[in-house]
Amino acid sequence: MTGSTLLLLPVGFPWVLAVALALLDGRRPWVGWLAVAGLGASLVSAFLLVHRILREGPVEMVTGGWPAGVGIVLRADVLGATFAVVSVGVILVSLVYEVFVGVRSRTFPTLVLFLAAGLSGLFLTGDIFNFYVFFEVSMTAAYVLTGYREQDYQVRGAFIFAVVNLLGSVIFLIAIAALYHVTGTLEMASVAERVREVNPNSLITIATAIFVAFALKLGLFPFHFWLPVVYVGSHAPVAAILSGALANIGNYGLLRFGGEILSEELALGAMAVLVLGSASIIYGALQAISRRDVSEVLAYSAIGQVGYVLVALGIGGAIGLSAAVIYAVVNSLNKALLFLVAGLRGPLVGAAFAVGAFSLMGVPPAVGFIGKIAVFKAGLTASGVVQVAILVALIFLGSALSFVYALQIYQRAFLSKEPQGGLWRKSSPWTARALVVALAALVLAMGLWPEPLLVLGEGAASTLIEGGSP
Amino acid sequence: MILAISLVVAVVFGSGAFLVLQRDLFRVVVGLTLISNSAFLFIIAAGLTQGTAGFAQGAVPILPIPDSYMASDPLVQAMALTALVISMSTIALLLSLIYRLYVAHETVDLEDISEAEMRLAEALEREEEPEQEGEPDVGQAEEEIEKRSR
Repeated sequence: MTGSTLLLLPVGFPWVLAVALALLDGRRPWVGWLAVAGLGASLVSAFLLVHRILREGPVEMVTGGWPAGVGIVLRADVLGATFAVVSVGVILVSLVYEVFVGVRSRTFPTLVLFLAAGLSGLFLTGDIFNFYVFFEVSMTAAYVLTGYREQDYQVRGAFIFAVVNLLGSVIFLIAIAALYHVTGTLEMASVAERVREVNPNSLITIATAIFVAFALKLGLFPFHFWLPVVYVGSHAPVAAILSGALANIGNYGLLRFGGEILSEELALGAMAVLVLGSASIIYGALQAISRRDVSEVLAYSAIGQVGYVLVALGIGGAIGLSAAVIYAVVNSLNKALLFLVAGLRGPLVGAAFAVGAFSLMGVPPAVGFIGKIAVFKAGLTASGVVQVAILVALIFLGSALSFVYALQIYQRAFLSKEPQGGLWRKSSPWTARALVVALAALVLAMGLWPEPLLVLGEGAASTLIEGGSP
Repeated sequence: MILAISLVVAVVFGSGAFLVLQRDLFRVVVGLTLISNSAFLFIIAAGLTQGTAGFAQGAVPILPIPDSYMASDPLVQAMALTALVISMSTIALLLSLIYRLYVAHETVDLEDISEAEMRLAEALEREEEPEQEGEPDVGQAEEEIEKRSR
């Protein structure tokens, strides 16, 4: 199979199938399984793509047979393909979960497929405007998904989510237009080359706009206000998709635009990025400790966890960027596992939650440890003794606080004999429980055999640095 | 020209931002539409570096272009068109969400909706009271919510 075919498949499978399934009733199990098969094919092709990129380097193609420089460029490197695999994987698990529990809306499988197509598209594109278009495809699907099950609070959550994120998209669109205006091109590689000759003043404004747009998507500390309402209200697999897959747009965007295209501006604003990341870690953890409801705790914990990615990004350099990639991947797996488990009841669910909680804290057998140690190592490479001391203390403090809230919710949800809100009476289908146990096993396995993750992290960091240097 | 366009963009964006901060959900959506439109104006303006739009010079910008003809960048206009379609679909979605909230609550005012939700939550809590009698803080919390809602 040639590289360019392989590049199209992760986007093509879910896209074509999504259009076809839109005509069918998604509540029927076979339609759900068809969507699962399409996503599975997309995941396999993304895996093959990663394998090929690691062996032969980045894959690139120009759509529509146009000459290079005219047509839209699709480009897959280690960073994009890694994020594509993780996001499509999380979406696949969440979709299988919902099919086991029972889909209640005819559009659910279609929307999930559109979201997956948009996400893998934006990870595998080499064109800034195309990035925006795919990003909107997945965001629009996500707005609808947030209202899934159509409870009043879910519809209200979807409205808030759509309004806030539409504002973020507009800011990003303005930044793209400005970037096009100063460089005269939309192709990421040429933009990265040409920004070096641009007046730094205008670039700082553009970089700030891009940062604000992605921070809004991530729910970083000063931009987090919408996140708890949306995550708490949404149905478990939707929350898993939002925080495990969709939030990767923010991570990837910050890495791609900050780490590669506008790397000099990132270095200039490194202090601001570090401060915001630290504030996010502390604020998210403290809020999480003070909440009682499991999904609320997880929502605030999500705000805290993205802080680590930001801190690693602010430290920069090969070690910092690879730590950011590794932590982003680890965090998507943790959040997907925890949000899925939070929607289940019955035997073995507690065990799966415990694995997720340990991974969140960064206790060794789980994969969270790999993420924490990577950020820790990056913290040690920061310049200046005072900064190293502050960062190391921060990482310890954040982990200690996550210990408190993770064990608190474990105790409340799984150790108490009192049924909470009458939800405990019936245990969930065993298939869904088996699924989360399998996901927990994956989290453990990746912690025991971290080499692939580390190779991907380092590969992604080196592509970013190569792309960003003249 | 640059000043005029920036002023227009600023005024449109500002009015949109003002409307987004209102309590009426319809105004929020209209405000978002205005904000998106200011972004489209900005995109178009990003391509106005050379020449003016085709109609102003009395010719249609189709190849072969005469030498004296200064064409403005067509790419930004294509970008604005794409973004316009995306924004229209999102606005349509937002309107349908408002309709859904209107059907449930018969109002589009954010405060009324959250009050109705508060009442619903209280009603649920009262129903579950017999089960949670062992916890004294439930009653207190309920009183507090009632105080706040007054």
